[in-house]
Amino acid sequence: MLQVAKATFIRNTLVMLRAYPWSFVIGHILSGVYTVLFAFFVYHYVFAGQLDDRFILLSGSSDYLSYAILGGAFYAFAVSTLMNVSRSLITELREGTLEALLLTPSPRRGYFLGNVCQQVMRTVFEFSVILVVGALFGLTLANTNVWSAALVWILSTVAFFCQALVLGSLMLRFRDTYITQNTLFVIMAFVSGVTFPIPYLPEWLQPLGQIMPLAPALDAFRQCVIQGKPLIAVSPQLFHMAGLSLVYLWIGTWSMRRMEKRVVESIFG
Amino acid sequence: MLIVENVRKVYRVKEKTGWLMRKWTEVEAVSDLSFRMEPGKIIGLLGINGAGKTTTIKMCSTLLTPTSGSITVDGYDAVRDDRFVKSKVNMIAGGERMLYWRLTGRENLQYFGSLYGLSGEGLKHRIDALLLQVGLMDAADTPVERYSKGMKQRLQIARGLINDPRYLFLDEPTLGLDAPIARQLRKHVKELASEQGKAILLTSHYIHEVEELCDEVYIINKGKLVAHDTPANLTQSLNLETTLHVVIPALSDSLDHDLRQLAMRYGGHRLITETDDKTWEVTLRGENDMTTPLLSLLAAHHSPVLRLHTQQPSLEDVILHMADRRGA
Repeated sequence: MLQVAKATFIRNTLVMLRAYPWSFVIGHILSGVYTVLFAFFVYHYVFAGQLDDRFILLSGSSDYLSYAILGGAFYAFAVSTLMNVSRSLITELREGTLEALLLTPSPRRGYFLGNVCQQVMRTVFEFSVILVVGALFGLTLANTNVWSAALVWILSTVAFFCQALVLGSLMLRFRDTYITQNTLFVIMAFVSGVTFPIPYLPEWLQPLGQIMPLAPALDAFRQCVIQGKPLIAVSPQLFHMAGLSLVYLWIGTWSMRRMEKRVVESIFG
Repeated sequence: MLIVENVRKVYRVKEKTGWLMRKWTEVEAVSDLSFRMEPGKIIGLLGINGAGKTTTIKMCSTLLTPTSGSITVDGYDAVRDDRFVKSKVNMIAGGERMLYWRLTGRENLQYFGSLYGLSGEGLKHRIDALLLQVGLMDAADTPVERYSKGMKQRLQIARGLINDPRYLFLDEPTLGLDAPIARQLRKHVKELASEQGKAILLTSHYIHEVEELCDEVYIINKGKLVAHDTPANLTQSLNLETTLHVVIPALSDSLDHDLRQLAMRYGGHRLITETDDKTWEVTLRGENDMTTPLLSLLAAHHSPVLRLHTQQPSLEDVILHMADRRGA
């Protein structure tokens, strides 16, 4: 499995260096930067630095700018991971290489692992750029519990990877990337607490946030960065994320296998 | 040995019956098909479009699962033991798919080799040997997007051989290739069977390719096996018409009469046309060869022969004949 992961990592890196659509990277960074700018202008010029009392209660901090900037950065990270992993098989299908890939006895886990590892490399870059821009507009990193934050980040990558398997199988099912992924991304941005705490949402909409790994991941990451909390303090969020990961992994593996079969029958049969 | 036994493949197809209405129907692509692939032999799978050739190849290479029946490779079941079977088979398709265009030829082979569990020096040597074998050593480090069609096809062959498969499926391998490259490729395929002992299954729309390469031919029509034999036996067994063309300088009434009598006697028919250069072309068509009696007749009429040409039935005629017969 590791050999396949390594080979896929190298292949993707070579392709990225030769012909990667850098517009994707720029797009993800810009989306994060816009969130930073939006939060900055709204906070200073619309609300004049005044926060609702409930915000401190719900977020555990009065630092709205750090809250929103981390939300934007983490959202860009989630979108980037989901997008690149979920698109991998449908891209193979579109480029005519899926057949050659499925002919080999290589485990699919290795293939996806290689994709996600290569993706992490790009995400680290995008995430760092957004944080640097965020620091210029009020992001405070002074209290950060670095190790806890890093571990939450790694566990989040796993969670987003599991969710990407489900998204990827939906893409194969509908033979579409654009509408499928963007529908999910818009919902994620709205219900996962990216720029405001989830309890601000109408009650009937709040459960939707709980099925997105982004919500507990972001909550845990913010607590580690803004309040400097240790890992143990965010264990409920980590368990929540682990539970969702297992469910998404199970559904994703099952549906991906079904969709592969379906695609092979409908395209190559 | 690869054994296909009573294999059937049914696809479920969604049909639009109204604005929002859909109906599922079943289409039988392959029906009760059986055949064997033996080391060192090339077998051809022929049929007109939609006959089930590609579906059969995809089932043998584990890409598709048969609805019923079994496919075994060296005793291993292609569905249950697909990982083992995948390591023993490979497929080369015509066209320019199945390669990463952004990678170089060498990088493509390295990637696919790794997917087959090959690594290190062993993989490096195998890649060098294959690049040499398909004549791409000089272009090994050029991205595939800069390759010509023929070069891509040769790289496909190298990819198809990267795992040193015992069983190789060639699906229209010379599709769209120039004649010299196609000829080179056919020579290579022949060597793979005769020198390396690989069992090869070939589908092609170029019938002369099948006649040249295949030891045995399976003809399928609408998913069903309709004939199986050597290409030579297949063309002989059906007693299809042989066509005889002869060009003579003049045609007398008595010769015309005798030619008609000859054609009738041999159960055939004759056609006479005057050519642009004021000669006469006589075409005799029948199930029996009329060359000897025709030459005797012309000699008796003291008619010189300017040109003589016999056209034997081809494998293509056999396929069309069988398709017509089954369709009727």
